[in-house]
Amino acid sequence: MTIFEKIADEVQKGNSESVGALVTEALSQEMPADTIMNDGLVGGMNIVSEKFKNNECFIPEVLVSAKAMTVGLGILKPLLAEKNVKPLGRVVIGTIQGDLHDIGKNIVGMLLQGAGFEIIDLGADVHVGQFVESAKNENADLVGMSALLTTTMVNMKTVMDGLKEAGIRESVKVIIGGAPVTQAYADQIGADGYAADAATGVDIAKKLLDK
Amino acid sequence: MESGNIPVLTIVEDTIPLAYEKAIREVWEKGIGIRTEYDRPEDPPSKDATVMIAVRKPFGQPRFHRSFADGLGGLAEYVQEVVHGAHDYWVKPVEEIIKAVESQDTRWTYTYHGRLFEYMIEGEIVNQIDYIIDKLSQSGHTRRAQAITWNPKLDPPTEDPPCLQRVWGRLCEDGHGGFIFNMNTHWRSRDLFKAWFENVIAITTLMRKIAEGIAEKSGKKVRVGRYVDISDSLHIYGSYFREIEGDPEKGIQSFFEMLESRSFEERTWSSDFVKPYFIDDGIGKGLKKMLERENNMPEDVRKYIEDELRKIEDDDYVV
Repeated sequence: MTIFEKIADEVQKGNSESVGALVTEALSQEMPADTIMNDGLVGGMNIVSEKFKNNECFIPEVLVSAKAMTVGLGILKPLLAEKNVKPLGRVVIGTIQGDLHDIGKNIVGMLLQGAGFEIIDLGADVHVGQFVESAKNENADLVGMSALLTTTMVNMKTVMDGLKEAGIRESVKVIIGGAPVTQAYADQIGADGYAADAATGVDIAKKLLDK
Repeated sequence: MESGNIPVLTIVEDTIPLAYEKAIREVWEKGIGIRTEYDRPEDPPSKDATVMIAVRKPFGQPRFHRSFADGLGGLAEYVQEVVHGAHDYWVKPVEEIIKAVESQDTRWTYTYHGRLFEYMIEGEIVNQIDYIIDKLSQSGHTRRAQAITWNPKLDPPTEDPPCLQRVWGRLCEDGHGGFIFNMNTHWRSRDLFKAWFENVIAITTLMRKIAEGIAEKSGKKVRVGRYVDISDSLHIYGSYFREIEGDPEKGIQSFFEMLESRSFEERTWSSDFVKPYFIDDGIGKGLKKMLERENNMPEDVRKYIEDELRKIEDDDYVV
């Protein structure tokens, strides 16, 4: 088993300590940081993501794996910045204004990060203006919005209008999701994608950004 | 049972994960197909039954199933919401609750902690958990130690009224000079597949808090006993069927195949494994993160959670 396979394996098991130790070991063997990230950490999370899609692992296990990956990424981050390694895309993500439920958004965020995207997580109950401002300031490639209530999902339309008014609608893709959200609603407000579940969200993000 | 009658199921198991798995199997196999307010037109009718679940050892290990709709840090925060009122400040004012669906205020209409610890009636606040502790400290055999959540004025017009209705408890002698705290909870309606497990982790933590309160107040040795959980409607929503049945054509296995493909140890976690994630799950949740993130939390609640955090960091405390 190569050291990358070992890292991927420990990410799947959610063993943060081993991931940290193996990433440090790989660096001491002068392995490139981007290869450690892609073949080890992202490789491991891709397997977790695939298992999750196929009903082979539970939601909390995905998040335990995500923690392990985050430990490894934390070690690599300064080196990746030095080498100017680009993520697959920059994603501004949050739960829509008025909605305090954030689990769905968190899982999508973790899976996207695991797939190699950079996540700017705005949290829950995010003001519509904050989505627009962050998308603009962070040069986001994609905005992801989640809602769990019928009363709050209407705010997604306001964000869509805000992105247009700010003149960035053409440069940023939008994916929406959450219990009351449907493909029909996504079409109605002009979103580029609707994610019925977290794993689908990652597939759609990759497709929309041609990754 | 005759068609049109809701099945009545009884489950008795040693631990929470064992009871949880058994309940999912039983409701899936024996539940009646019936629509709920939350089903979408394209969803099949939900599976539903009236169910009583008894857990002999609520803190027996392994205590945590791996199948629930959140992370471990999120679960830790939910426990604080129920037991210490971490999110009581997310509840909207009564005048907005009365407006029901007309209200534009999207804050919550209740929390379990709010209703149990600060029930509003005739302009006064009643701490019903203190009442249970006081009553059982004075006379452990009483059958009157209970707390309710339902507010007949506020709840009927709201979109999501409380599921938990009542908490009832009684003390029995353990035969060794100490006492056992028995607790029952009664639920109007319950999402078995995505809410039951987290509810039970939180409510049994409250059970322990009540037992500790009685012990402190009465000077008696009080241990947590069996926990009984009664749901009028324990259901698996139609929208979850895809997840439960899988899709063999797409290589997606069913929920039951997933359970069968792993040993029980591989489907559960012990309290020891879970503890560090309850403190900080490394991805933004857990008690430390909650305290950092929620700046508007009232000081007294923050203090409770800080105390809880200290206890969890102490090796003797079982989460």
